[in-house]
Amino acid sequence: MIQTTAEERQWFLRNLARGLADYLGVVEPPVPVEQLLEHPPSLFDEDLGVVNMYSHLWDATFARTPAQRGSIFVRIDLPEKERRFSLARETLTALVTSRHGRALGLPALLLATLKECAEYFARHLLAPEPLVEAYRSRGGDLDAFGAAFELPANIAALRWEDQVRPA
Amino acid sequence: MSMQSLNQLVARSIIDPGVVQAFHAGKIGEVLAELEFSPEMRADLVDLRAQTWAEFAVLAYRAVRTAEQPVRRIELPSPAEGLLPDVSRSDEQQAA
Repeated sequence: MIQTTAEERQWFLRNLARGLADYLGVVEPPVPVEQLLEHPPSLFDEDLGVVNMYSHLWDATFARTPAQRGSIFVRIDLPEKERRFSLARETLTALVTSRHGRALGLPALLLATLKECAEYFARHLLAPEPLVEAYRSRGGDLDAFGAAFELPANIAALRWEDQVRPA
Repeated sequence: MSMQSLNQLVARSIIDPGVVQAFHAGKIGEVLAELEFSPEMRADLVDLRAQTWAEFAVLAYRAVRTAEQPVRRIELPSPAEGLLPDVSRSDEQQAA
C-alpha cells in the first residue's frame, strides 16, 4: 500500500460516510445511525448487528463470531448522543473488516490508524458535510449544532472545527 | 467538477460492489465514463496503477487535486522596467 497522509485518509472517510448517508436518503439531521445498522446495505447484512450489553469496560466495541457475523456491542445505559457516536465509530471497524471492505482494500488504508479514522468517520457520518454546510448557511452556530445533529458536546465541537477542503 | 465526480464515485463504492468489480476487472474506465471527468483526466485515471480500490482512489485524489489547483504564474518584472527611466525623463524635460 502506498503511503498516505491524514488529509487523504480523511477525504476518503468523508466520502465513505457520504455514501452511507446517501444510502439512507438523509436530507436533514439527525442522521439515523441505528436505522443504518438495522437495515444496512445488503453488502453488510452479516456485519452490522447491534447487541445491547451491560458493561463498565467500554462504551461500544465491534466483534465477530467464529462464523464471521459481526455485531457492535454497546453499553445499554449510554445517553442517546453518546450511543449514536459510539455506534457510528464502531461502524467503521465493521466496514473495514467486512468482506466488501476487504475487497475495497480498506484494511491496508485504514487499519494502522483505525482509532483516529473511526472517530473522524463517525463525526462525518453523523454530520455529513452537505448537511453541515446547509446548517451553516442558515446561520446555525456551534451552540445549537450538537442538539441539531444529536452529537455529544465535545464531538460537536470537534466536528465544527473539522476543516474540509472544498470539492 | 472532477473532484465532485471522484467524491461521488468513492461514496458509491461503499454500497455498490460494481465499482470494485469493475476496478479488479480492469474496466474502471467504463465506470469513469459515467461521470463528469474530462477525457484527459479520465485517461490519466485509467492509467493509474494500484493494487486495491482504496489505493486507486487516493492516487486519483492526488491526480485530480493537482489538476484542479490553479496554475501559479511566475511574475517576473518587465525587462524594460528600470531601464532608461532617467534618460527618458530628461528627454521629456528637454522636449518641454
